[in-house]
Amino acid sequence: MTEASAPDGGSETGEKVAARRTARAHERSKETRASVIYGESVAKWLITGGGLLVIFAVIGIMVFLVQVVVPLFFAGELRGRVVHDLGQPKEVAWINADEFQSLATSVSADGTVTTFHVGSGRLLASESLDFGGETATAVNGVLTRDRVAFGFEDGSVRFGRVGFDVTSVPRARAPTDLEQLNARDFLSGGAIFAQVQTGDYRRVAPVYEIGEAIAVSEAPIIAIDYRLGGTVERPTSAFVTVDAAGVARVSRSTIQRNLMTGQETVRTTTATLPALPSGTEVTSALMSAAADRVMIGTAEGLVYRYDIRDANNPVLAERRRVFDGDVAVTSLAYLNAELALVAGGSDGSVEVFFRLQRPGLDTADGFELVRARTHENQGAAVVGIGVAQRDKTFVTLDDAGGVWVRHSTSDQTLFKLERDGDPSIPGQVMLFPRTDGVLLVDDAGRAEAWAYDTPHPEVTLGVLFSRVWYEGYDSPGFTWQSTSGTDVFEPKYSLVPLIFGTLKATFYAMLFGVPIALMAAIYTSEFVHRRVRATVKPVMEMMESLPTVVLGFLAALVLAPLVEEWIAAVLLVFIALPMGLMIGAHLWQMLPLRTALRLGGIPKFLFMGAVILLSGLFSYQVGPAFEDLLFYGDFKQWTTGRIGTGTPFLFLIGLPLSFLLVSWAFSRRYGHHYRERLRALEKQSAGRLDFLRWIAMLAAAMLVSYVFASALTLIGYDPRGNVIDSYQQRNALVVGFVMAFAVIPNIYTLAEDALNSVPAHLRAGSLASGATPWQTAMWVILPTAASGVFSAVMIGMGRAVGETMIVVMAAGNTPIMEWNVFSGLRTLSANIAIELPEAVKDGTNYRTLFLAALTLFLMTFVINTVAELIRQRFRKRAFQL
Amino acid sequence: MTDSSITMRTSADIPASGAAGLAGVAAKEAVAAKPGGKGGGRRVRSFTADVSAVGEPALWAFGGALALGIILIAGFLFMIFYNGMVTFWPKPIEVVTMRDGAVVAGEPTRSGTYRPGDNVLARMTEEQRDFVEENGGFSTRTLYRTANFDLYGDDFRWVSDFEVADVQQPTDFYFFERQEWGPFVGRVAGLVIDDAAIAYDSAIMQREQRAARARFAAIRGIEQGEIGRINYRLEQERLSIRRAQLRHGSGSAEALATAEAANARIAELNAEFAAQQQRVADIRTIDRRNRVILEEIGGRTKDTELSQIVRYYPANELSILDKIGIYFSRWGEFLTTEPREANTQGGVLPAIFGTVAMTLIMVVVVAPFGVVTALYLREYARQGRLVSIVRISVNNLAGVPSIVYGVFGLGFFAYTMGASIDQLFYPERLPSPTFGTGGILWASLTLALLTVPVVIVASEEALASVPRSMREGSLACGASKWQTIRYVVLPKAMPGIMTGLILAMARGAGEVAPLMLVGVVKLAPALPVDGFFPYIHLERSFMHLGFHIFDVGFQSRNSEAGKPMVFVTTLLLLALIVIMNSTAIYVRNRLKRKYASGQF
Repeated sequence: MTEASAPDGGSETGEKVAARRTARAHERSKETRASVIYGESVAKWLITGGGLLVIFAVIGIMVFLVQVVVPLFFAGELRGRVVHDLGQPKEVAWINADEFQSLATSVSADGTVTTFHVGSGRLLASESLDFGGETATAVNGVLTRDRVAFGFEDGSVRFGRVGFDVTSVPRARAPTDLEQLNARDFLSGGAIFAQVQTGDYRRVAPVYEIGEAIAVSEAPIIAIDYRLGGTVERPTSAFVTVDAAGVARVSRSTIQRNLMTGQETVRTTTATLPALPSGTEVTSALMSAAADRVMIGTAEGLVYRYDIRDANNPVLAERRRVFDGDVAVTSLAYLNAELALVAGGSDGSVEVFFRLQRPGLDTADGFELVRARTHENQGAAVVGIGVAQRDKTFVTLDDAGGVWVRHSTSDQTLFKLERDGDPSIPGQVMLFPRTDGVLLVDDAGRAEAWAYDTPHPEVTLGVLFSRVWYEGYDSPGFTWQSTSGTDVFEPKYSLVPLIFGTLKATFYAMLFGVPIALMAAIYTSEFVHRRVRATVKPVMEMMESLPTVVLGFLAALVLAPLVEEWIAAVLLVFIALPMGLMIGAHLWQMLPLRTALRLGGIPKFLFMGAVILLSGLFSYQVGPAFEDLLFYGDFKQWTTGRIGTGTPFLFLIGLPLSFLLVSWAFSRRYGHHYRERLRALEKQSAGRLDFLRWIAMLAAAMLVSYVFASALTLIGYDPRGNVIDSYQQRNALVVGFVMAFAVIPNIYTLAEDALNSVPAHLRAGSLASGATPWQTAMWVILPTAASGVFSAVMIGMGRAVGETMIVVMAAGNTPIMEWNVFSGLRTLSANIAIELPEAVKDGTNYRTLFLAALTLFLMTFVINTVAELIRQRFRKRAFQL
Repeated sequence: MTDSSITMRTSADIPASGAAGLAGVAAKEAVAAKPGGKGGGRRVRSFTADVSAVGEPALWAFGGALALGIILIAGFLFMIFYNGMVTFWPKPIEVVTMRDGAVVAGEPTRSGTYRPGDNVLARMTEEQRDFVEENGGFSTRTLYRTANFDLYGDDFRWVSDFEVADVQQPTDFYFFERQEWGPFVGRVAGLVIDDAAIAYDSAIMQREQRAARARFAAIRGIEQGEIGRINYRLEQERLSIRRAQLRHGSGSAEALATAEAANARIAELNAEFAAQQQRVADIRTIDRRNRVILEEIGGRTKDTELSQIVRYYPANELSILDKIGIYFSRWGEFLTTEPREANTQGGVLPAIFGTVAMTLIMVVVVAPFGVVTALYLREYARQGRLVSIVRISVNNLAGVPSIVYGVFGLGFFAYTMGASIDQLFYPERLPSPTFGTGGILWASLTLALLTVPVVIVASEEALASVPRSMREGSLACGASKWQTIRYVVLPKAMPGIMTGLILAMARGAGEVAPLMLVGVVKLAPALPVDGFFPYIHLERSFMHLGFHIFDVGFQSRNSEAGKPMVFVTTLLLLALIVIMNSTAIYVRNRLKRKYASGQF
């Protein structure tokens, strides 16, 4: 390819012009026209620039992908912080705020409700809820915080509503007395107005309500939790209370609304939970939304878990020490979906527990609380936990003034905020409903709010690439599941199963593809006539641009059902084909020399083809018998491990290895003598002897393999459940085979080019020295072209890694991690093709999919760059020879 | 393929295999055949050429691999070709009477051997079990296309040989292809012409069905022509109001004036729209008065408007000429009409159009880029590290998975560039995107990036094959370097460059994965080219043959029903690509021959 660049035409022309001008000055001007010189330099710059554009294209793609991916790893940033003095130093019982961070409401223990504008601290209204003169001693609410249960000093309970009413007001009907509070919000008539994109206004107004007192206990209530259920017409509320006497009760209230009078009647039934040990100091109580579980945390560091599915007969399911050492449970909360329990301790520990079913447990319901995640220690007692409504974020407040925002799944602390006020004053903390800020109101009447941006709190490098224990899972693992039907779903973004799927598909494709492609390339380049090569090569090249969607369609709709039906025959082909060819070769060796020479060219090749077809036919016919013989008549049943042993399979797998072993031992021990003996014989009888040797060695190999397989089975090894497992129609075998079909032309063409560019004099020299073509190919051509052949394999691998349509259609797309040949897989590329069209721009899934693309890009970039470097070296060397 | 320049230069003859392979043996035998010891003569040198040196088993393994590859490719091509070609051939309708008395009518689609499972065997009668046992535990089953999806809820049914009591081909069974619900297999129970029930008469039916189809075409014409135009203009008027509001501020005098004028025109257009709707409704009324009553094998009837019958024929009474006629009429429909029945029936014209349009736009982009890079590599660059990096980049562009290009195309072209274009030029349509989503332009650009290495490699090869003497001649005549390239090198290399472009088109036409991200859809509402200004709508999404295969094969209600369509579409796509490739290879070979002895 090296070719000296053409001599520089410009200067030469200049010299000539000068010389001629002196000679014949009267002739027309020989001056090079300015436009030519100008055009010359423009062309040079344009072409050079255009040529280098390729580099920019590659770098540009990479930079763009990186630029989309990088924000995934930003922890987030604080947008602002406000501190307001509400001027009412009262004990805060409950706080709530709306999702636009416009209004916040604080309810104090005596029933005073203070609503203020978050941005400016402007007080809107100050009203009182009817607490009947009692002081609230325990408060808790549902996840959305607008339904609250208050427990009072006299042992009664009231339900209330502390929420917001959000409506849309057309621009034309907006009030005229709007008073601007900050850049976004206006105040009018006790409500906040903000203009939205369409030009209309959004009106946010506070809503409060308080219900009748329900007597539950005689002693003051010290802990309470409350969940709503039932239908809209007949809402049911379930609540758990613990009073100062240490008695825990579960109550259910049904509210019946009389349609005629509009009057509500509340009916409450109460059951007492099994007693706690006397002297227990209860710090918190929790109830699940389905009203089937109750958790009670104590200062002794224990959590009592009650099973209250049978409302009349609640049982203590489990008692568990939460933290290591003598650490009190100071707060408890459920994350959304209520699958994970967050516990805060007096030493600042924050831990997350899952309730898991395990065999052989002695707990009453067969479940157990398992510590799944240990979050960063906060250093001081955790006195409050606020849970996000839409994801797995939560905020913890300690008694030293720390307000930490954490994300449960990714196990990271997003922000470590500091309170402005006196840390010893108790306060209430919550996350804004959109998880974009924290609100804290303390008993001194000081309100603090932080606003922040965390676009992707659920993703860290750890989440993407290492084991994560997800809610509801038995153990930590690599899982990909980015979307689900429910809102309270925990997205799982592990790229590992996808990378695994990619490698698995590539592995099986290369397993089938590389031997066929390379052997075919060697044969084409060294052993066939030039004319055969001239036909085969373009056909292969054409197969390279075959649409893979066609292959995928065939794989999934034609091949997969066929393979499923004829799996035994397909497996048999893998044995029958090489055997058939070997028998063919040995029979050929027995041919008389003249016949062999006469049929040496294309007829021999046709025989080979015929042998392959015969092997296929043989497999088709014998397949069922083969299945009966080795797999107890039903291969698919066998793979599940229900019938038979693993011996037959190990025997088959061991056969090639044993054969190699036997032939190595033979050539080591008798090789020299054997060759001497062969030389002494006529060609035909030598062929016969060699055939006998082959048969004997095959028999020996079978024996060795069988002994080996039986031994493995005896020691209890069974390949099933590992490389072999239950059969699925869309599986790695089919994908590997069809993907091999897609990469074979690629590897074949490049390898053939490399073999063919070995200088002819090497070949001629070797043949002239008496080597057979086989020896020449193996010991002269192949070593010389090795690097080129290797780079062909690499490029083929690059193609297999990124292949999309075949896997999308034929691989089943299950992101599981097992080497089982008969199970499906999901590759990075298929995952992108399936999920990206639905991913929201700049969302977490979108960026994660870009990361998948970047991973693919880098994988192929490395493979291709190495391959190209090797090829460039090879090319240089090949021309030097 | 990326480096066949090497191949070209060193295409020195390689010795033919077999003969030379056995040469060694021959030599040995020649030596052995010599009369042995002639007393104290010279010792004969022994050649180490024996059976193991020929490596016959290895040769068979190598040759077998090549043969296997060829067999697989041939089998694959044959399968596509066969299935694609026979799909449209009208098949007979068989009426199968089962042993339990049930009757099934349908086209036999395909059959296969299988081994009935235990649960199937348990449900059989004694007689059937014997039958299966006689066949060695195997049974043959046939898939019948029973059609009548609206009545049966399924299109196909497997019938095993042990179930069959009798098979007949009655002549009064027709195969109806309907506009909706797929085909119908059954008899004609009667006709309703002008709301008057009459007995079936094939001549009347034929005449009325033709008339009904003409009415159907007329409705289509009105809907797509007149009504489409009115809708388009309505949309334009609405956009003009919005544009004026954005430009001059809502409530400004200009905006109000524009709105008033536009609203007047909208009212006019709405009146016109109503008039056209009325025309359609009138034709529909006639349609509803002309019906055919179809009866399936079980006796259930279906009252269908005649205009819904696309094609019908008495499947068991066809002469060979009739069959050929139906065959070609189906091909014609396939190539020239739009799809129906969720793409599983009808034609693929929009997909052909989309594929071709996208490929052409791609070529327009890829050609200058590829040729310029090739010129740089071959004519301007000095061999060195930079060129090495450029080559690595080219190979990386060729090796990066196509789906990554799709991701890049979506993120960069559609979401970044497209969104900016929308902000600048189409603010009135926001928030619904114009260029800010997948479309034919972005798809073409993405594929251009993907196929540029093909063009670079082929162009480089073509440039290299222009003999040096020609360049030198040109330079010696006083031409500048660029002039030489422009007037001597490029014209000579043009066939080779064209080869590269054709190969790029073949590659681009077959690529599907990136298109799924940047603008291909299963059913495009409008073609990217139409009669409305600016005539070529680069922002529109489009249909593509490759995606059509994916969609019909995997996302239709019944993949079995879509299979024939998939095979035909595959055949079409494959034919397109094979033709392009063969042209490219033919051109390249001619080029090679032309410059083989590159002397004047």
